[in-house]
Amino acid sequence: MEIRPILSALMRSKVALVLIGVQIALTLAIVCNALFIISQRIDKMGRPSGMDEANTFEVGSLGFGAAFDMRTTVQQDLATLRGLPGVQDVTPINRVPMGEAGWSTGIQLQPAQKTATTSTAIYFVDEHALDAMGVKLAAGRNFRADEIGFEPDFRNNGWPPVVIITKALAERLFPGQDAVGKQFYLGKDQPPQTVIGVVERLQAPWLDWKEVEYSTLIPQIRPYSTDIRYVVRAQPGRRDEVMKLAEAKLGEINRSRLVRNVESMEKVRAEGYRADRAMTIILCIVIVCLLTITALGIVGMASFWVTQRTKQIGTRRALGATQFDILRYFLTENFLITSLGLAAGAVLTYAFNVWLMTHYEAPRLPWYYVPVGFLCLWTLGQIAVLGPATRASRVPPAVATRSV
Amino acid sequence: MLVMTHLQKVYRTHLIETHALRDFSIHVGEGEFVAVTGPSGSGKTTFLNIAGLLEEFTGGEYKLDGVDVGGMNDAERSRLRNEKIGFIFQGFNLIPDLNLFDNVDVPLRYRGFDAAERKRRIEESLTRVGLASRMKHYPSELSGGQQQRVAIARALAGSPRLLLADEPTGNLDSLMARGVMELLEEINRQGTTIVMVTHDPELAARAQRNVHVMDGQVTDLGEAPRFRKTPHAAAATA
Repeated sequence: MEIRPILSALMRSKVALVLIGVQIALTLAIVCNALFIISQRIDKMGRPSGMDEANTFEVGSLGFGAAFDMRTTVQQDLATLRGLPGVQDVTPINRVPMGEAGWSTGIQLQPAQKTATTSTAIYFVDEHALDAMGVKLAAGRNFRADEIGFEPDFRNNGWPPVVIITKALAERLFPGQDAVGKQFYLGKDQPPQTVIGVVERLQAPWLDWKEVEYSTLIPQIRPYSTDIRYVVRAQPGRRDEVMKLAEAKLGEINRSRLVRNVESMEKVRAEGYRADRAMTIILCIVIVCLLTITALGIVGMASFWVTQRTKQIGTRRALGATQFDILRYFLTENFLITSLGLAAGAVLTYAFNVWLMTHYEAPRLPWYYVPVGFLCLWTLGQIAVLGPATRASRVPPAVATRSV
Repeated sequence: MLVMTHLQKVYRTHLIETHALRDFSIHVGEGEFVAVTGPSGSGKTTFLNIAGLLEEFTGGEYKLDGVDVGGMNDAERSRLRNEKIGFIFQGFNLIPDLNLFDNVDVPLRYRGFDAAERKRRIEESLTRVGLASRMKHYPSELSGGQQQRVAIARALAGSPRLLLADEPTGNLDSLMARGVMELLEEINRQGTTIVMVTHDPELAARAQRNVHVMDGQVTDLGEAPRFRKTPHAAAATA
């Protein structure tokens, strides 16, 4: 291998070496960190909400007019929706998971606790909630019908005595213990709430919230003024048909309200993760552009060097180099340039990650990103230089004797 | 050493055919110093390229050191060129980014010698041309005559049987040209066959034999060389 003479020759073309080396270093640093961010976003977008998203949808109702009565409307709506063909179950709800708007409150483990132990999303539902949302009960029991209250004033601070919480919240509040039967406080100077059930998973409405897995189901129908929503679970495969029917029927039975927000949970998810998806796409485009620019840079530089060194290549051929020797020379040269760039890029990658960690609370970049980045850029470099190197290998040895 | 019989070289485009060499026959014996002369466009460089296996011919026969090179592929020709032939170019053709040591090393690496053997040969050949003390210098730091000496050292390092020189003093002033010619004569005296293409009659006169080329044909084969037993020939007859 001609590593030493190639390196020695490269050191005499420092400007080109530095330019392409910096480009490769920046590419490695940006691509590694961008890929890491993409993988995090993909993991985030892949998190289950805990609901049977394929078969559920939400439908909202906003009442108006002096004659509008919320309690009667909810009773009528629930009876109508539950009677529709293809409906498996229905629950009233204040806001849906992943919907980016909802209610939350702090939880205290002691009545006089000044700072909340943690926060939780609040869903006001009835005894049909688990079935209607497709949420799995992991421990304890569901609400009974007689435990469901109706609270027309959304500003009321009173909380019912029993709740169902998610497993993640249970583990946060009562680590390593059975949460069923345990108590905590949702409101100050109020009686405690007893956990009667634990569900496997039910995400909060806010997907970027640190406590996204902490949710509490409250056995209460609590409209927000004249605004109420329902989660409807259709029989498998009948969601779209039921959505249309539900919207039409609710409109028919009460003219003093608007039927709105008729959206499948799949759409709610898509909307909730829109920013993450956009970020992923943008970063993918950035990566593709950067890799393309780097590859073109390598092709350009190698092509220039092949043209500049045509006589030199002819001389090498005249001195006994085979076509393969010339091909190997340019591949080796590119490998060395790429390696120098990558060495600088590795330092830059970790520095960039530290900066992201400091300023954006990004997690630490896993160690294997850099070696994988090395392999990718080495491969890219070799593929990029293959064309010019092949052209170089085809320079005839007779070029050596040409005077121009 | 070099036998070309009825050699043809035709350059073809879709419009015209150019006969660069036609019925070209020449015999260069071992240890000879032959000058090939002729006007521009006569076919001297084409002859040199074919003799040095830099180009293929389109007809006839060419034997180099007894080996018929006609059916060889590119890799075989490269190997034979590397082992048997040393080149000296008019423009020196040194690699500007490599120092003298690495320049002389180029053909030796392609030969596959180990590092110690390459070092020995490089030092020996640079000593032979009087530039051993400057092996870490770059070509741009040398005069034209010194650069041509490096090119000669590079050509000699692989112990070639045949040295092909293309206008070796064409880019040098008369003083440097004389020095280079003296070096070539000394190399020839030590047994290396030299074929030198030149248009300089004064230079050609210093060769043992002058071959004149005109319109792609040999018009004058020159005087028959006087016999001289060379080290190579002695080894062959031993």
